[in-house]
Amino acid sequence: MGKLIPLSLRVAYLNLLRNRRRSLLSVFIITIAVFALTCAGGFGLYTYDSLKESTARDTGHITVSQPGFFEQDEDTPLENGLSDAQAISKLILANEEVRGVQPRIEFTGLISNGTKSTIFVGSGVNDREFDMKGPFLDVRAGKTLSSIHSSRYNPAEPEVMLGVELAKNLKVAVGDWVTLLATTSDGALNAFDFKVQGIYSTGVPELDKRQLYLHIQSAQELLVSSKVSTLSVFLFETEKTAQIQSWISHQLSNVVLEQPIELTPWQDRAFFYTKVKDLYDRIFGIMGAVMALVVFVALFNTMTMSVTERTREIGTLSALGTYPSDIVYGFVREAGLLALIGALVGGFLSAATSALLFVVDIQMPPPPGRSDGYPLNVYFSFELLAICAVGVIAICISAAWLSARKGVNKPITEALAYV
Amino acid sequence: MLTFSQIFKEYQLGQQKVTALKGVDGEIAQGEMVALCGPSGSGKSTLLNVLGLLDMDYQGRVEIGGVPYPKNPRLAAQYRRSQFGFVFQRFNLIPVMTAWENVAYPLMLNGDSLAQQRAKAYEILEQVGLAEFADHRPDNLSGGQQQRVAIARALVHSPQLVIADEPTASLDSHTANVVIELMKTLGHSLGTTFIVATHDPRMSVQCDRTIELVDGQMHKGQMKWAS
Repeated sequence: MGKLIPLSLRVAYLNLLRNRRRSLLSVFIITIAVFALTCAGGFGLYTYDSLKESTARDTGHITVSQPGFFEQDEDTPLENGLSDAQAISKLILANEEVRGVQPRIEFTGLISNGTKSTIFVGSGVNDREFDMKGPFLDVRAGKTLSSIHSSRYNPAEPEVMLGVELAKNLKVAVGDWVTLLATTSDGALNAFDFKVQGIYSTGVPELDKRQLYLHIQSAQELLVSSKVSTLSVFLFETEKTAQIQSWISHQLSNVVLEQPIELTPWQDRAFFYTKVKDLYDRIFGIMGAVMALVVFVALFNTMTMSVTERTREIGTLSALGTYPSDIVYGFVREAGLLALIGALVGGFLSAATSALLFVVDIQMPPPPGRSDGYPLNVYFSFELLAICAVGVIAICISAAWLSARKGVNKPITEALAYV
Repeated sequence: MLTFSQIFKEYQLGQQKVTALKGVDGEIAQGEMVALCGPSGSGKSTLLNVLGLLDMDYQGRVEIGGVPYPKNPRLAAQYRRSQFGFVFQRFNLIPVMTAWENVAYPLMLNGDSLAQQRAKAYEILEQVGLAEFADHRPDNLSGGQQQRVAIARALVHSPQLVIADEPTASLDSHTANVVIELMKTLGHSLGTTFIVATHDPRMSVQCDRTIELVDGQMHKGQMKWAS
């Protein structure tokens, strides 16, 4: 077996064994650094991925609206709404990468239980919205909105879903009736009674105090308009957002519409995602720099001690005609080997931790502004491990090169006389 | 033929300048075994370092086979690996390499294939009587065995010149005799020049000639032929 390994590598390995405790300590430090960086990075990747998916599920991957919809306030409901929603939906649904197109009406008004009134933020959606978004709502009581085409749906009993805090504030439960009062699109006041179909939590207390869902047809009747605020386009794969956006843009440019159209990808609406990513990137950047410094100092110390202890050996190798650069490479190989072993062990521990966290349910406390915690997961990424390993190897090699270069610059006669 | 003329060497020792060699001249014929003797501080190690190209910071001229010694460190390293061999007082074997790998090291530096390295290393280990210890590491060998490995390493690539610094100083008298005999026999059979710095009279007696240094100068009156 030993004969299959190149002599240079075997010598590097055997040199590391000359002071096992010191080599083990170096490997341990490198392992901790790689483990910490890959775990922290893996947690970041999981967080980014979760927030990305949650944002894309919430807003849709692409939002179709009038230009400037998100920047301009409406004087009356649906003033900036879309008139051609059905035609646009049909056109977009022709693409097989599109999972669905959901119309939405965003409006505000007053909700009353007969004795008490409060402000609400309403979303008119169709019943497929809840299937499309996945388990983004925690339904605490009752059910989600029924399909208006279903036999169970009674048009005489229009449905509404209330945020848990809003329901609590109004002291209503599933099956109770509430009245929604809103300004119509032409500025008049209109009110309808709705039966509470479900009570849910979004995980954000501020939203739970104000938010409600109702059928888009009910919202259109309440607001006396056939328009919708936006169309949310849901895709099968988030990565194809830019490609499909370009395709939709091209398709829409070939048809005549009543209004100009703007397409907004999910990233432009993902304010929380962007801020969290910026924050985490900086935290991990600083952590990486600190780890790099620790590894550098540890390895520089190890290699300097090793070079000092082997000064006479360096002198012998030089006397025999070994070039200084070859002697330096010998030490660099040793540091590279330490780094490689440390990176492999660190990577293995990181992978094991990642696997363990998929099995063991550890809950993180709720983030600021949220009411629910989330499971602690760490993604294991080979790409991240490769980046960490290359970084650590580069740091170790630099440390070894610096310390060994100093050692080989000593005159041969002095090195040979070193005791 | 190794010739050296007007070799001056100065050291800076603290604030003082010490002149270690004061215009040393000499000639050593190819295949000759020369002992370099003298009391401590006489400059024999300094001269040995100059002649072995381990120290290039000197004044004067050294030639081997009519070719001046290089002053460029890289060329000097090439010279040492191809033309010179070294035997040190404390053997200076590479502890993580086996005996044959230590012996093969100069061959590796000179670009021999692994098969050639192995064959030549085993052959010379056979000549020094250590073939059965070829796969042993230095810490598993006695002092005498280690020095024989060092001699094998110094001669394996058939150098023109072997520089030996007190090769018997760390050995008992019996082992020292074995090592001296080995150096002499192998040196003569290979036609290799040996320059041996020594305090050991047994060593100097075995050499073809002795150069004695006193206070950095050659003590011509004491120069003698061994046999």
